[in-house]
Amino acid sequence: MSLSETPSPRQNHLLAALNPDVQARLFPHLERVDLPLGKVLYESGDAMRHVYFPADSIVSLLYVMESGASAEISVVGNEGLIGVALFMGGESTPSRAIVQSSGSAYRLLGQRLKDEFNRHGDLLLLMLRYTQSLITQMAQTAVCNRHHSVDQQLCRWLLLSLDRLRDNKLTMTQELIANMLGVRREGVTDAAGKLQKQGAIEYSRGHITVLDRPKLEKLSCECYAVVKKETDRLLPYLPHKAMPTSVS
Amino acid sequence: MRTNRLLEGLPPKERDRILGRCETVELEFGTTLCESGSPYRHVYFPVHGFISTVATLVNHQPLEIRLIGDEGVLGATLALGVDTVPLRAVVQGSGAAWRMAAGPFKRSLRESPALLRVLRRYLYVLLAQLTQSNGCNRFHEVEPRLARWLLLTHDRAHSDHFHLTHDFLADMLGVRRSGITIAAGELQKRELIRYVRGEIQVLDRKGLEARSCECYEAGIRDYAQVFA
Repeated sequence: MSLSETPSPRQNHLLAALNPDVQARLFPHLERVDLPLGKVLYESGDAMRHVYFPADSIVSLLYVMESGASAEISVVGNEGLIGVALFMGGESTPSRAIVQSSGSAYRLLGQRLKDEFNRHGDLLLLMLRYTQSLITQMAQTAVCNRHHSVDQQLCRWLLLSLDRLRDNKLTMTQELIANMLGVRREGVTDAAGKLQKQGAIEYSRGHITVLDRPKLEKLSCECYAVVKKETDRLLPYLPHKAMPTSVS
Repeated sequence: MRTNRLLEGLPPKERDRILGRCETVELEFGTTLCESGSPYRHVYFPVHGFISTVATLVNHQPLEIRLIGDEGVLGATLALGVDTVPLRAVVQGSGAAWRMAAGPFKRSLRESPALLRVLRRYLYVLLAQLTQSNGCNRFHEVEPRLARWLLLTHDRAHSDHFHLTHDFLADMLGVRRSGITIAAGELQKRELIRYVRGEIQVLDRKGLEARSCECYEAGIRDYAQVFA
């Protein structure tokens, strides 16, 4: 990341929102880990040993078909965590979790998290609301995948990523984007080319720089605004960011 | 009256207390039970009827997200501490259901650890279903997807006959009506179903399972695993 920030679990907004006594119990058990681009944290069906709270990294949850084809169902950054299935009594995850933007995260042993749940405090409450925002995102992605063009979906995806980054630069391979959107690489090349021609992004060799965010918002389908609005409503602990023009 | 599989999973004393707070209602085909964004007024535990939840878009046809029958409950997300309805819910199969007002339901969640545990497990199934359906919508052909939805419906209808309009099937799968005509015609030609003016009869359940994509079986597996 270009901007330096003192490494702290508070980089994750959910952790930062916990009461001081909960933080005092949990923070000593958090382990800071580096998440390189493309690293798989879980395959679907894997038992979850740790949960991850992204600091400045972004993780994608993907559905993987028997054929190997995959598509993103939700994206997790510093607003949430990877591993909500744990408190639901599902010991394994239904999706693959893969690092979509490199950076750091704090991880915690699943058992520690469960112990904290059983106190029925703050953490449980925040995680429940976070789970609801994930469900919203998944349902919206389903309908978006079905009815919106690759161009629109790429805009939605870039905006969701941008909200979880500290600057406007994203390092991504074309192949990873294609796996996120569940399309061929050529589809991504075409869509990114169009966005570049319109001056919305600059794209070269896996580096995407967003030049004109309002334009991206205009070109995106409604799904970005729907998810953003619902996430902000459900997670009042998120720092205030400018709302997309379309829902203000 | 027969209950609902989620309620049946509760210890008898807790189940009776919860049923004591419920009333039985008759779900009628086509009724909208709740709209997304509004607060939940009731939760529903279907017995014979079943409910579909729908995601809506501004300029497109809606998309069915899932079916809720006697294996589930409409209103599970109340257990997440959020009062608003995430998706529109419409009755897809007429029949009986248990219904409880949202207030007593929230009180029941606070009082009954067993209910909360069942609800959390059900939420896991819901997440797994959403995940699976996303992949299915994206990658699978219309005919296997239609077979999957017919199986999901068959499981909840408790009958080999059920009513599904062409328009509803198109929304279910997010395709044009002509796509449904072709796929249903194909299943009919294989003598797996009979489909006349919105009336569906399942003729060969095993055959339908064989035509379906992997997603039907995966859903059954997730449910069985979580509620084992």
